[in-house]
Formats: sequence, C-alpha cells, structure tokens
Amino acid sequence: MSFIAPLFFVALAALAIPVLIHLIQREKKQVVRFPSLMFVQRIPYKSVRRRRIHNWLLLMVRLAALTLIVMAFARPFLQRQNAAVAGGGAREVVVLLDRSYSMGYGDRWERARAAAYDAIGGLGTGERGSVVLFSSGAEIALRSTGAADRGQLGAAVAAAAPADGATRYAPALKVAGSLLAESPLPRREVILISDFQRGGWRGEEGARLPSGTTLTPTPIGGATDQPNVTVTAVSLARSTFESQERMAVTAGVVNRSSRSLTAGQLTLEIGGRPLQTERLDVEANGSTSVTFAPVTVTGNNMRGTVRAGADALAADNAFNFVVSPVRPIRVIVVDRGGSGSAALYLTRALSIGDSPRFEATVRQPDAVSDDDLRRASVVVLNDVAVSTGLGRRLARFVEAGGGLLVAIGPRASWPQEADVLPATVEAPVDRTRGDPARVGALEYGHAVFEPFRAPRSGDFAAARIYGYRAVTPGPMAQVLARFDGGAPALVERRAGNGRVLLWASTLDLAWSDLPLKPVFLPFVHQAMRHLAAYAEPAPWLTVGQVLDASFGTDAAQQAGRVVLTPSGRRLPVDDEGSEVMELTEQGFYEVRGGQSGDSVLAVVASNVDPAESDLTVMDPREIVAATAGGSGGGGAGEGGVPLTPEAQERAQRLWWYLLAAGIVLLGADTVISNRLSKT
Amino acid sequence: MSLPDAHVPSAIPGARFMDPVVLARIGNLELVSRAVVDGFINGLHKAPYFGASVDFAEHRGYVPGDDIRRVDWKLWARTDRYYVKEYEAESNSNFSVLLDVSKSMDYGSRGITKLDYARILTACLTNLVHHQKDRVGLVTFDNAVVEHVPPSAKHMEVVLHVLDRTKAGRPGSLRQPLHDLAEHFGRRGVLVVVSDFYEDPETVVDAVTPLRFRGNDLIVFHILDPAELSFGFADASAFEDLETGEQMPVVPDAMRKEYVSLVRAHIDALQQRFSEVRVDYTLLDTSKPLDYALFSYLSGREKKMRLR
Repeated sequence: MSFIAPLFFVALAALAIPVLIHLIQREKKQVVRFPSLMFVQRIPYKSVRRRRIHNWLLLMVRLAALTLIVMAFARPFLQRQNAAVAGGGAREVVVLLDRSYSMGYGDRWERARAAAYDAIGGLGTGERGSVVLFSSGAEIALRSTGAADRGQLGAAVAAAAPADGATRYAPALKVAGSLLAESPLPRREVILISDFQRGGWRGEEGARLPSGTTLTPTPIGGATDQPNVTVTAVSLARSTFESQERMAVTAGVVNRSSRSLTAGQLTLEIGGRPLQTERLDVEANGSTSVTFAPVTVTGNNMRGTVRAGADALAADNAFNFVVSPVRPIRVIVVDRGGSGSAALYLTRALSIGDSPRFEATVRQPDAVSDDDLRRASVVVLNDVAVSTGLGRRLARFVEAGGGLLVAIGPRASWPQEADVLPATVEAPVDRTRGDPARVGALEYGHAVFEPFRAPRSGDFAAARIYGYRAVTPGPMAQVLARFDGGAPALVERRAGNGRVLLWASTLDLAWSDLPLKPVFLPFVHQAMRHLAAYAEPAPWLTVGQVLDASFGTDAAQQAGRVVLTPSGRRLPVDDEGSEVMELTEQGFYEVRGGQSGDSVLAVVASNVDPAESDLTVMDPREIVAATAGGSGGGGAGEGGVPLTPEAQERAQRLWWYLLAAGIVLLGADTVISNRLSKT
Repeated sequence: MSLPDAHVPSAIPGARFMDPVVLARIGNLELVSRAVVDGFINGLHKAPYFGASVDFAEHRGYVPGDDIRRVDWKLWARTDRYYVKEYEAESNSNFSVLLDVSKSMDYGSRGITKLDYARILTACLTNLVHHQKDRVGLVTFDNAVVEHVPPSAKHMEVVLHVLDRTKAGRPGSLRQPLHDLAEHFGRRGVLVVVSDFYEDPETVVDAVTPLRFRGNDLIVFHILDPAELSFGFADASAFEDLETGEQMPVVPDAMRKEYVSLVRAHIDALQQRFSEVRVDYTLLDTSKPLDYALFSYLSGREKKMRLR
C-alpha cells in the first residue's frame, strides 16, 4: 500500500493532544491543600509529569479515530505489482539518440554514436531493439528488430547525423512508449543518449512510459569551455533613399562560452556573396549587437545571411533572412469628383505610411475599369451612387478576394442586385440639432480596432457625427461599432474570399469631423490593411516551424509546385492539402512552380533555434522520475495498459472506508465519554 | 480522660497516654494542659527540673560595689575575710515559648492540626513550668511577631488566653521575627521554639541560634503531620501550597519515594545542625500522644543535663 499525500502524516503529531488531555484531565478535579510544596518542587519535573492515565479505553478510541482520519487524508491506494518488473526475461530496448544540432559540439556526436553501438551490442539473444532519432521531433529509424540483426541497427545509427532541430525529449519518449507498449517481451528498457540540455525538457508534457519500463539515461556531456558564439536574431530597419528602398541589418550575437571572443569577424552575405565584414568582440557569457551599413533592396526574395566565423558549435553561427521590397496596397477611391472633392482626407491619409505603402487612385464611378479592379486590393466607395453594372463588378471583385469600404452619406445608393453589402441602407438621421452623435461600443477584438484597445490609444468618441444613415445589418454581418443611440456605425461582412466594411456616415467633413481627429489616420490604415488581408512577410522561420507552401503565391499558381530544401531535395506539393510542411533544415527553402514549372515563387529563410545553443545541462534523473512516475502513481496498469478512471478510483477508494471508520469511532468516543461523565 | 491508644507503643510500662485528637476536642487549654501534666507527673517518680537552680556555686572575694547583703558573714566570722556567695543560677528562671502560627501550621490530616497540637504542647509546657513557680511568657510569630506575652509568674492565665484565641494567618518566615526576639530576651532563661520549619536547615539554624547568644537555654520542637512525613496520598491532584497559594500537579505514587527521602534528609540535617550548636531538637508527629512526647523529650533532656 502506498499513499498519494504522505505529507498528511505530519498531522499524526495531533495524537499528542488526546494523550495530554487524558493526563491533565483528572488533576483539575480536586485540589489538595498542603502545608508547603518546598519538597515537591525539588523533585525533578519529568517525574512530576509522569502521571497516570485514566480511561485507557477512551484514549485508545480517540487515538484510533485520529489515526484513521489522518490516514484517510493521506489517500492510501493499493498497488498491483507488475510481475514482469521483478522477473527476468528478454528485453525490448529502445535506443533514443539525440541528433539535435548541439550534438555537433566538439566530439559529442561520435561519443553518442559509440554509446548507441554499445547499447545495441548489449542486446542478448531473443531480445529486440529499436533506434529512434530525435531532435524537436522523433523519427523511428528502425523498428523492433531482433538481436540477430544487430548490423541493421548499427547501420541505422551510422546513417544518422546531427540535424538542425532543437532538443525535445517528450516526443521521443512518447514514441518510445508506444513502441514498448506494442512489445510482447517481459522487460522493457529505454536508453536515452543525449547531452541533456536544460532547454529540451519543459516538465512532464505527458510523456509516460509503460509500467515497469527502465529508463537509462546516457549523458554525453563533457567540457563546454570551447568558444561558442551564436547569432540569435537580426533586425531589419527599412528606409527609402532616393526612391530606393534600403535596409540596415543589426545582428545580435551571444557568447555562450566562458571565454571572451576578441577580434572575431561577423560577415553580412547578400545573395550568397560576402558584402560587409565587421569586427566582433564579445565578453564571456555576454552579448553584443553589430549594425551593418544600409543595403539597397534590389529585388524580390533577396537572401541575406549573417555569419560569425567558425567555432565548436557551427550550426548557430549563421543567421538567414529573406527580404523583398515592400509591395504597396493599391486602393481605388471611387468619388463623385468635382471641385470640393470629398476624397481629400482619404487620399491624404493614404499617402502617408511606409509599411505598407498605399497607392491610392481616385476614380469617378463610371470611370472604374476592369483593369483597375484587377490591380487593386481595396476599393473605397466614398458616398457615391453605384450603378447596377458597377455593383455587379464590385460584387465579383469582393468574391475574388478584394476588399470594399463603403462610406454612405446623403448621396450614396447601392443596387439591389449586387448582394455584398453587410446591411441595408435606410433613411438619413439628422443630428445637427441637439447633441451630435458619438461613436462608441467599439469591437476592440476586431482587427480594425485592435490598435485602439489599450487605454489612451485613440478616442473615437471625440468625433462628432452630425448625420448618418440608419442601416439594418444583414444576417451574416458583424457590427464593429455603434453610434451612441445604438445604431450601427461600422458593419462588416465576408463575401466570398473578400470583406466588405460599411461606414454609416461620411469620410469627409459633410456629416462629421472624424477626419480631423487623430484616430482617423490609423483607423483608415487599419481598415485598408484588414480589407487587403495584408500580412507582413516573416523574414525568417525557425527549424521546427511549419512552412505554408501557398506562401507568396496566387491561387492560380498553386498547381505543380515543389519545395526545394536547402539540401537540394525536391518535395512536391500536391493540391489536396499537404501544403504545410515542417522545416527541418537550416538555410533557404524555395517554393517553385508557375507556368515554366521552375520559377521561384517564394523563398523562406530557416534558422536553427538559438535556445539550443545554450548547453546548460539538466539532471537526467528529472526525466527518469517524471516518466517512470507512471508506474508508481497508478497512471499505467499491467502490461503498460493505462488504468481506466474507474479502476484508478477503485484502487484509491480506501480513504473512504478509513474516514467512515474514523467518524464511527468519534461517535463511540462521544457515547463513552458521556457515560463516564455521568458516573 | 485518658484513652488507650492502640497504635502508639508505650515507652513506660503501665502508662496511658492521651490521644491528641481527643485532647483537641476539649478546647479548654487549661484543663487540657493540667490533665496532661498531672498525668505526666503522676506517671513519673521524679519530676525533672527545668533549667533553673538555686545551688551554691562558689565564694569570691568582696570587691567594692558588691551588695553587702550578699557577704557571707559566717565565713567572715571564721576567717575574718569578706567573701561573697555566688549561685549557679537565678532561682526563678524565665520560660518563654516561641510559637510559629504561620499558615502552614494550620494543616492536619487526622483531625488535629499542627497548630492545635503545638498549642496543647505549649499549654502543657507552660503549665509544667508554672508549677515550678518559674516565670512564663509566650511569643507567637509568623513572618513578624504577632503576640507577645512577657515572662512573668502571673502570666499563666494570659498565656493560656492568648494561646486559646491564636489563629494561623499569614505565611511564615523564621529569620526576621526570631532575630527581633533575640535582641529582646535580655535575661537568661529557657526558650522553646515550636514550628514546622519549612525552610532550609541552614536558614532555620541561622534564624534560631541567635536566641542562644545571651546564654538562653534553647529547646526546639519540630511539629509535623503524619501526612507530611509519609506522603500517603493516592490520587494525582493539584497540590496547593497553604502559604503561597501556588498550585502544581502532583502524582503522589510517582513522587512518594523521593518526597519521603527529601523530608528525611531535611529532618536529619536539622537534627545534625542543631546538635552542632547545642540546641535540643525534638521531632513531634501530631499522631503521637502529647504526654508521650513530653515524656520522651524530658527524660532525654534529663539524661543530657546529667552529662553536662
């Protein structure tokens, strides 16, 4: 029998209470007057305390009740012994070989392989072995092979090499657990060969081995005093200089060793050619940052690498990134034209901003061509009457993924035939008399208003709205903002692949002074970004992250694409759905395809996880305790089959009976002491 | 009046002793003391004499200033020289009892308290001495002098009266009252101290011996209840000190052996120290008959006087 909460046994100290009560109790009843306690006081105290206990029965009942209650709180449970644990027999051995890139430090990989060969060589007749290679994920190199085929197991180890992933123990242990659970052999063992980096273990993570499994950690440690410099990240500061886009690269460098690095070299490579070299000095266990001179961004998918010489752990010395010129968001502002152009504030707002840039084109309703719509990402209808033809074309534009912002003032109208508006437009509401309307009840969770979420990040209520159109939101619409009377101010609807935003007032000074308020510019920018579904392309990803192969490509280009890995493998991307693939190598992934079949559609930079270069070692016993805890805690039953919750509950139900017995004894105690007090 | 007492062995064949409990019930101290002393004297063939003597000691030469009435004229007639007669003691000595009336004396486990026993003892002694025409006095004290009856031949009634109404009151302390009294007893006499001596033997002896400094003859009676000697309690109880009111839990069974040995050691130490300073010490157990106690003491004292 074991206990779930043995700490409760501290409460057994409370047993002293009834004993003391029984010792003290009788003496308070009578007082003997005695001439002098002169001699009594001279007798040592301990003998004075040695008093006689009356009512042994009552004392025993009380002690037993207390003990039972304390035991109940300690939650005892019955543990079924696994016969296979104690007995001998053939082993099922799983060799877990760490191939994270930190294993490339010094001679670690050679020693790790030697340890794996030893483990394989230790297999006896009739025993079986598996080889599992793991870094951030686990891969079964060879599944449960008999000891006779040791050569195969050895070959699997020999074929392995350190990868670019970071260490994660939990997936490997889960794989080992599933391999062992299938095994019919009586003894199960996992041999974990790793450098046991602290960063690879984030607590238990549900990695439990079947009951009775032995986990043997084989640490491949050794000295870590060799120089080890890591380029942890780069930051890209863009600027525009004489209509050319430039960027300044700043690299962060960490020295993970106890030796300081002086007169090292940090090189910036663009397109594979070294461009600039800076001197690198880093203190022991220190960090520094180096900024290179600005570089002109010449074309799409420009590949950059920051490289810091060579040292004991080479994989983390290079840092890759990809930059492309910022692509502007093309916006067509449909305006009625004329001298007092209502689109003034809108076009001025769109002319500001670098990331992303907006290219605004003003068109009159009848001048919007198909070509305009094809090139544009967003169309803004600024209080114009839309003809049926334009309405249909705009509806198609939205269905195809375009964004549409409709500002409805006194002149606006929309044809019934084109059903993409989020709300039906009704009569104007005049708020020039009395208090003007205010915008409130913002949906801060929505992308348009997300920047205004924090306190003092823009006050929409400062804008005065003198007139607006009453609108009735449709069934698929979401109201993002309301006027103070509760009428919808901003309504959104998804139509096809695109989005439509309806602003129930004007975006000029005709009906409101919103364009004069500080919130106008960020509001318009945010609405454009949202409608254009703009996302800043990530300059790099980390090994272990997932690459979306549709990245940077249009829907039309998705057929026949392949992904070219840094090592030169070509991975086809089929149309069905395997468009996501995990990055496993450091370098540049290319997505190729298009009409020619081999044009570069996108380039993704992949970097190793800089956390892996921290070689701090953990105590392997922590992993042993966490995974083997399953056998002690009742998590796994015989033969590795986890117990059902009911079975676990049955094994732990003992506390219930103990508590009941304790309460019964307390009742008996009441009866006995009542009788005693009467006599 | 006398009752046979089974549990007290008779030291004198044929003698009958009176149970202190019975005596205590009589209440009239004069009657009690007379009964005890008469019986006691009747039981003895020879009465012991207390301290005082009129025996001639020596002659010495007359020096100017001596009272000429004390000149031995018969000797002058024979020798033609002036001699003065010297006597060993004054013919009538002072006799004072110093009685401890502290709170601790007010204890009795067998129907008679130590104070009652001490009062009867005092009355008996006073009565006995009064028979010899000696001057009798009484001092009661606890932590200070409570009552003081100066020694006088006419004070027998006063002494009995004071004894009759005395009551235990305050906690006691020997040193201060006895030191005060030591200065007071200017004239040589017999002093009897009656107490339960609940103090360190050294303190007791230091407090008592100054009484001897003026040449007083000092007799000490140590009164104890049988329960104090044997500690015959059964149940574990809280014991309360009569003088201080302090309480403490006591398990008699566990402590009896040590307690008895401590009391025995105390008594032995008192006996030892008093004999060193030539003070007569007698332990009296309140369960013993008074006349038996008196007899045993006085006969013992007579033997010692002969030796001196």
